[in-house]
Amino acid sequence: MKMRIKLVGGLMLATVSVMLLGSCVSDKDSSGLEYMPDMYRSPAIEPYVDYGEVRNQQNEDMKMTQSAMTPPHGTIPYFGTDAEEVALMLSWNIDPFDQFKTTHGLVGYNFSKENTYETEALLMTVNPLKLTAENSEELFANGKKIYTANCAHCHGAKGDGNGPMMETGVYVGVPNYADKTQLSDGQIFYSIYYGKGSMGSHASIVNKKEIWTLVHYIRRFQDSAYGSVTDGVLNSDDTAEPAEEEEVAGVDPEEVN
Amino acid sequence: MFKNFNKWCLGAFAAMLTLGTFSVNAQEPEAEASINGGDLFKSKCATCHHPFKDGTGPKLYDVRTAWSEGGAGAEAIYQWVNNWQTAAASDPYAAGVAQKKATAMTKFPDLTKPQIVAILDWVDSQEEKVAGAAGGAAGGAEGVEGEEEGGFSWIWIILGVLFVIVILAVSGVRRQLKAASGEAGSDTLSYGEEFKAWAWGNLRYVLIGSVVIFITLIVVLFQGLYSIGVVEGYQPSQPIDFPHSKHAGMSGIDCKYCHNSVTESRSAGLPTVNVCMNCHKQVAGNDDEQMEKIAKIYAAAGWDADAQQYTGKTTPIVWNKVHVLPDHVYFNHSQHVEVGGVDCKQCHGDMTKQQSTAMVQPVVELNKIEGNVQLTRPTLTMGWCLECHAEKEISTGSIDNAGGDYYQEIHRRLLYGDKKLYSDYLEDGKVTVMELGGWECAKCHY
Repeated sequence: MKMRIKLVGGLMLATVSVMLLGSCVSDKDSSGLEYMPDMYRSPAIEPYVDYGEVRNQQNEDMKMTQSAMTPPHGTIPYFGTDAEEVALMLSWNIDPFDQFKTTHGLVGYNFSKENTYETEALLMTVNPLKLTAENSEELFANGKKIYTANCAHCHGAKGDGNGPMMETGVYVGVPNYADKTQLSDGQIFYSIYYGKGSMGSHASIVNKKEIWTLVHYIRRFQDSAYGSVTDGVLNSDDTAEPAEEEEVAGVDPEEVN
Repeated sequence: MFKNFNKWCLGAFAAMLTLGTFSVNAQEPEAEASINGGDLFKSKCATCHHPFKDGTGPKLYDVRTAWSEGGAGAEAIYQWVNNWQTAAASDPYAAGVAQKKATAMTKFPDLTKPQIVAILDWVDSQEEKVAGAAGGAAGGAEGVEGEEEGGFSWIWIILGVLFVIVILAVSGVRRQLKAASGEAGSDTLSYGEEFKAWAWGNLRYVLIGSVVIFITLIVVLFQGLYSIGVVEGYQPSQPIDFPHSKHAGMSGIDCKYCHNSVTESRSAGLPTVNVCMNCHKQVAGNDDEQMEKIAKIYAAAGWDADAQQYTGKTTPIVWNKVHVLPDHVYFNHSQHVEVGGVDCKQCHGDMTKQQSTAMVQPVVELNKIEGNVQLTRPTLTMGWCLECHAEKEISTGSIDNAGGDYYQEIHRRLLYGDKKLYSDYLEDGKVTVMELGGWECAKCHY
């Protein structure tokens, strides 16, 4: 009897101390006790979960080797069956310049040997997303949303190239859109889609329709009346665009030299 | 100061050389004073050039000296800026420069010579930035706090063990004393028997004590059970110690820039390394610690910072998932952010102040944020979700802007359908997520 009490007491003491000690050891990479561990690392595929260990079984083949992957070139997001929307999403007919492999790290495109940024085809490219009196307001509201999320930290909310990253001096050399009126729609699209200078390709984070929306939105920084609607009629749609094309055509021969 | 003065002299001397005559030189700098070289540099050149770093274009510091030492003609560099092709055709050094970089320089025919001189003078007057040592201090403080907490419970355990040892030692001494004084029967009693005798003698106190201990143990047990599956404060180690405060806070980058699928997908998305490179191609870090971290991005992207080009050899980064929900719950980011118009802060806290990588913010921290719905249950538990669904008014969000009859239908049901919902609505005048079915099991479990 005496022995038994001692044994039970000893066991209790040991359990309590092990529990106390166990609660003190903290593993930073463990999220703690779970009721159903196999529900957290289940065989069903969840994004960014490492399947190297499922139900306490190690599987080297399933081990995660990469967290986020760039969508392969040519993949089209599903946007319903609206033919115009689908057409916007299809692969772009202008290929990136060969050097973008080393300067902008582009992979998987058909590369062009000539500098496609200055080709006639690009200079003549106009925005396929047609601006009308009906869609103008929605398009610019949408553009503002995309611009604020993806561009404003460098290019500035006013498009003057003075975003918060310039103000803190972290980054230098973002141009003012107002100085770049000679750019064609195609060139603006090209710069966002494939990158330009220090700016990388944004093809993986904004889709083609969003980029064309941005092209319209950027035009408004250059001309505040661009795309505005008065009395149900679109301003400067017929006047501004051909003028720009003429200007582009004027610059063109020099650039080709 | 003196060093700076030297640079100015050098700049002026270079200008002198290139302008040819002293008489012109004597006037030109006066005229230049009205031209702001810095502003011109920022608007025209800085897209590709940096004073001290090779970027898309080569560094521009002391470039005139480099050209004259390389044997370029006095006018060649100005010609180059106006039109690099004519300069390359007439000057052998310029022709060599044209071969250096793959990307062709933009032509600036509208820049006058005094303007170019002002730009280059401004560049030469710059001083290379000394590495900033700030940052990372608060991240360290967090770690210290955690250690202190761990040490605190260790101290209690050590104190407890010492206390038991002291009691045993004291009672041992007492027994020895008793044995020495020759009290009858005391040497035959063991510790257990002695305790038993004492307990029978003080039965009332022992009973009260036992009840207190029993209740305490039950409470501790249930607290322990309640902590299972609660992941507040979970912050796994990451391959790169990413400071959110620098990116979302200081640099003002929108959350949606890096976590760009948050409006379209179930998962908020981790940025692919090309998104990092959109800025880090230029931002290489100011001190050793930063440079070490950013070098990992370069390795992942296959960017050779010395040669300023991509090598194509990539070594992907594997991030550890922080906010993990069990498989029997369905959560969709776009439904909350895009449709519901919920701010990221409601669940993730103020990331502009998070000095390190992501962490499951405890609910007390979330409640401190202005505009957040006040909740009591631990973050990422079901109670936490339900509380918010019961409190949060539905947002007319983007669906309302996009038109459609979604809310008309809800309004119709409110008026003619569910009488209870309608009376609830009349009571407080607001429609919560719960009142539209936010507490239905099958909303999240299916």
